[in-house]
Amino acid sequence: MKKKILIIEDDPNVVDYLVSLFEDNGYKTFSAGDAAEGLKLAKKEVPDLITLDLELPGEWGPRFYRKMSLEKNLKNIPVIVISGMTGNEHAVGRAVASITKPFNRDELLKIVKDSI
Amino acid sequence: MADEILLIDRDKSHADALSIYLERQQFEVFIADSVENILILLDNLIPDIILADPFLPELRVINLLKQIKNSNPSTQIIITPDHDYYDQAIEELQSDVLTYLQKPINSHLLDLSLKQAREWISLNKKLDRYAGKLGDLHNAQNLYQQLFDEVPCYISVQDREFRLTATNRMFKKDFGNEIGSYCYEIYKHRTSPCPDCPVDATFEDGESHQTEEIVTSKSGKHYNTLTWTAPIEDATGKITQVIEMSTNITQIRQLQDHLTSLGLMLGSMSHGVKGMLTALDGGIYQLESGIANKDDERITKAFDQVKHMTDKIKDMVLEILYYAKSRALKYQSVDVNQLAESIKDTVEPIAKKNDIELNMHISPSMGKMDIDSNWVKAALVNFIENAVDACTYDRSKKEHHVDFSVCEKRPDYVCFEISDNGMGMDQETKEKMFTLFFTSKGSHGTGLGLFIAHRVITQHSGAITVESELREGSWFQICLPRKRPEHPRVVDFPEMNLNNSGK
Repeated sequence: MKKKILIIEDDPNVVDYLVSLFEDNGYKTFSAGDAAEGLKLAKKEVPDLITLDLELPGEWGPRFYRKMSLEKNLKNIPVIVISGMTGNEHAVGRAVASITKPFNRDELLKIVKDSI
Repeated sequence: MADEILLIDRDKSHADALSIYLERQQFEVFIADSVENILILLDNLIPDIILADPFLPELRVINLLKQIKNSNPSTQIIITPDHDYYDQAIEELQSDVLTYLQKPINSHLLDLSLKQAREWISLNKKLDRYAGKLGDLHNAQNLYQQLFDEVPCYISVQDREFRLTATNRMFKKDFGNEIGSYCYEIYKHRTSPCPDCPVDATFEDGESHQTEEIVTSKSGKHYNTLTWTAPIEDATGKITQVIEMSTNITQIRQLQDHLTSLGLMLGSMSHGVKGMLTALDGGIYQLESGIANKDDERITKAFDQVKHMTDKIKDMVLEILYYAKSRALKYQSVDVNQLAESIKDTVEPIAKKNDIELNMHISPSMGKMDIDSNWVKAALVNFIENAVDACTYDRSKKEHHVDFSVCEKRPDYVCFEISDNGMGMDQETKEKMFTLFFTSKGSHGTGLGLFIAHRVITQHSGAITVESELREGSWFQICLPRKRPEHPRVVDFPEMNLNNSGK
């Protein structure tokens, strides 16, 4: 069965990119444009991995992560922070990786592959 | 060289006898027995000594002697009048003459007189030399004073207490003629010496020291200066004073300010730029994979995206180029509570990381306001980050907290208040905190944050009020009008004026 990746990202162009990239490489994807929608999807689908943007409309990425960590069956899902903010490695301390936009797609794919 | 002596005597044999006597004493002797002869001789001769029978009662020789003495004061004259005219000679010549010898001449008296004349001559020569040197010295002093005054730097000479003992013209122009005042008073409006004073360092080790300072002129303008010091020693090698030379590099700093602001703006726009670049990457990826799979639909879609992104990036670059000149704010209607929440989300992790309690007091339903939310948010975050830093650097207390509140203090204004119980600020820091490149955090600060924050608030016609007590903490109030002002303040580059900062 295909591994599932949840993409939380508000820029539709970037969502498109990540969806194509992951699906071309054999993953199944879901995407959410904000934290609330992301949390709902995560609970429903229980993905194998989540990519998380930090600057989101409404609640920001770190807030999403805190809420997600409170859910028993979600808290151990690996999270990759993909954001334009520099120094974003501090924002979500327990993320498996923090990469900045624009990112190297091979690098991202390798991190995904190594994580799940 | 032998002293030259002019012997005036009508009695040839008397003159010859005297001449032999004088030549034996190493004088070079010229003899004149008439007024005409005297005139011929004087064409080529300035005698050191004149030994003369004045041909009285005739006055021609007397007048000639007066003329010679007048034009050559160093020439010493010894008069040997005939006995009958002795008194008349004294009366005519008076003090123009070194001495009067009666005829027949007593050789001892003559020797004494000649010795006296030679002493006078050598004394006169010495005096001439000293006078010359004094003149040179005077000229040199004038020259140095002129150099001191005209150097296009602020020059001050200071004593051990940092009192100004001399200042040059440029210093007087911008800082006033304040001899006797303290350097730190005049330059920095402080009441005590500045920390890391280069003058102090030079007094300590006798070496030259260099620092960069921000000084405040008498008209309240802030100047960036590059300061050099050098010791002034007394004859025993003890450092009595220190000279301080400061070059005004404000213009260079202003240029840097312009460039850094551009860089800073690029930084703040970087989120957008990075998003666009990522989307462009995405378009290229899809184009590549579309071509590889011969998927026309994907190719078309991807090409559209690449085109769209290229246009957006082009727009942004043009915007940046425009900004390089002057930047207009992008006003949007913003929900105040949402703004406050997003600020909270940004600063909370920072406060937590530093173990500082962050208290938020946000009045519910604050409504909307018209601002450039990106800039205002960046400015407010900067104030809070500084508050957190002020707590982190403060070691005098164990528990630290930063309070952030949003309320409507006066109608149509939204007030953001940020307070902390951190290290607080001294007078100098309070005066300079909004100045470009001023930082109290040493190598940890860039001196940019509050400068930009201040400018953003000023551009929004807002006001910043600051209260601070050293070791007690600081309180910042930032009030912004809810509605976009009809006559917004145009803040041009470079902007160093702090008049609106309040205190």
